[in-house]
Amino acid sequence: MIEVLGAKTVRGVSNAGRFGRFVWQSIVACARSSVLSRTYPLIWTQMHLIGVRRVPVVMITGAFVGMTLAIQAYDQLVIMGLEERMGQLIGLSVVSELGPVLAAVMLAGRVGGALTAELGTMNVTEQIDAVRSMGTDPIRHLVAPRVLACLLLTPALIIYADLLGVLGGFFVSVTLKGINSQAYWSFSASAVELWDVSVGIAKGFFFGVAIAIISCYKGFHCKEGAQGVGRACTEAFVSSFIAILALNLALAIISKAVYNTFWPVRSLL
Amino acid sequence: METGSEKNGRQATESDGLLVLKNVTKKFGDNVVLDNVSLTIDKGRTTVVIGPSGCGKTVLIKHLIVLLRPSEGEVYFKNRRIDNLSERDLNKVRIHFGFLFQGGALFDSLSVAENVMFPIRQHCKLTERDWVDDVIKTKLAMVGLDGFQQFYPANLSGGQRKRVALARAIALDPEVILYDEPTTGLDPIRSDIINELILKLQRELGVTTIVVTHDMTSAYKIADRIIMLHNGRVIADGDADHIRNHPHPTVQQFIHGQVGEDDLAVLRASTAVSKAQFLPRDFEQ
Repeated sequence: MIEVLGAKTVRGVSNAGRFGRFVWQSIVACARSSVLSRTYPLIWTQMHLIGVRRVPVVMITGAFVGMTLAIQAYDQLVIMGLEERMGQLIGLSVVSELGPVLAAVMLAGRVGGALTAELGTMNVTEQIDAVRSMGTDPIRHLVAPRVLACLLLTPALIIYADLLGVLGGFFVSVTLKGINSQAYWSFSASAVELWDVSVGIAKGFFFGVAIAIISCYKGFHCKEGAQGVGRACTEAFVSSFIAILALNLALAIISKAVYNTFWPVRSLL
Repeated sequence: METGSEKNGRQATESDGLLVLKNVTKKFGDNVVLDNVSLTIDKGRTTVVIGPSGCGKTVLIKHLIVLLRPSEGEVYFKNRRIDNLSERDLNKVRIHFGFLFQGGALFDSLSVAENVMFPIRQHCKLTERDWVDDVIKTKLAMVGLDGFQQFYPANLSGGQRKRVALARAIALDPEVILYDEPTTGLDPIRSDIINELILKLQRELGVTTIVVTHDMTSAYKIADRIIMLHNGRVIADGDADHIRNHPHPTVQQFIHGQVGEDDLAVLRASTAVSKAQFLPRDFEQ
């Protein structure tokens, strides 16, 4: 039993070290690629695949989040006579938490899965070895454009998700529940500060990088065969999902601490 | 007079040959795939590595370009040790090599022209588009596929894919071309086309060629030197006649395609199974 435990520990540490080295190499490759103009076409291509094609699904996600939140919250607010403040609740919830997290989870499934499948297939068909055999760094050529594309586009997609979330909540609140539309927008605008919007969007940078690096890592190190690639896709999504939740918690703690430091009076109101 | 376990003739030193493997051992976990292999590859000649499936041929050839690093031992290219170089330094060495992978390893999302252009784009300044188009045309013409520039790998046959992969491998005019089972999966005629291409490139480009194969017809046709691997060790090393007349029984079994007595005994020992054990009753009726 000790031998089994020891072997698992050694394997775990080895995998953690391998992942850490991959992250470092990816960061260095991204820094180099961002100033090399010949890599820009690769980045544009990935931005189109990752960003442009994902806008509809992210908008749908945001819209349904807002609508569902409005339906669930209305009854609770009516009890307290606060239904006019629906815009405040939906705006804050969507912009600071639900929009970024659920949009990122959607991207982890769609984009992350696609990245892992593509790179995993390249791995098992020796295309990554072919890149190396031609004197090219596969992390600079394959990983960096994808990470940079996710870094730049995830915040933009979160903006779409937030917008549709607020609009979805508006639709349910005003059209179905009969809340005054002016009240909805007024309370929404007063509650949602620029800080909340900024934190929500900033989360997108971290979520995007996490999704891209984890997905690319799983693709680069998947086992042989269709089963290996499939398993890597599943692992990539699960790992990305956990990373998103962990990063969200960490960023929430940090942003709260920063806010309380710079605006201590406002935080008490 | 060769011993039963032949060790490639002479002791490899870093001053001999274009490529040298010195006491290379490669392990994957507890599995020893290459066991203290020493080889010297001479410049300008065609060396063929043969052996049964799983004996370590592909692992061996990947060590020559350091796609795999040895667990023990050293690899030299032009008297310079390369197995301990960083990936960044290795990239400068690898441009002297062309590698034809077993499945071709073409990039699915790129056209034939873009595949061939890939190494050129990575390592050359592309100031004139016409020059690049001419180079691509020349490389594809060498493998008999000029006119296929706009095709994608999915639209090509297996033999065509290998030829495009070969055109890509020679795009930077390498000094060494490595072939990993170039005729596997091809019919006899397409296999012979690949053999002829290997000979043609050898003649016209003067490259050093290393081929890994278990196709003896191909080996006899193209090889100046044949090396046989078995259980991770070199057990035969010489020209075609030397291999044909080699006294080692494993070598004779392999080159004649004969199953060994041990394997035959296993096959004969399996119990005959009656039809009733497998076929459903209604099928029998």
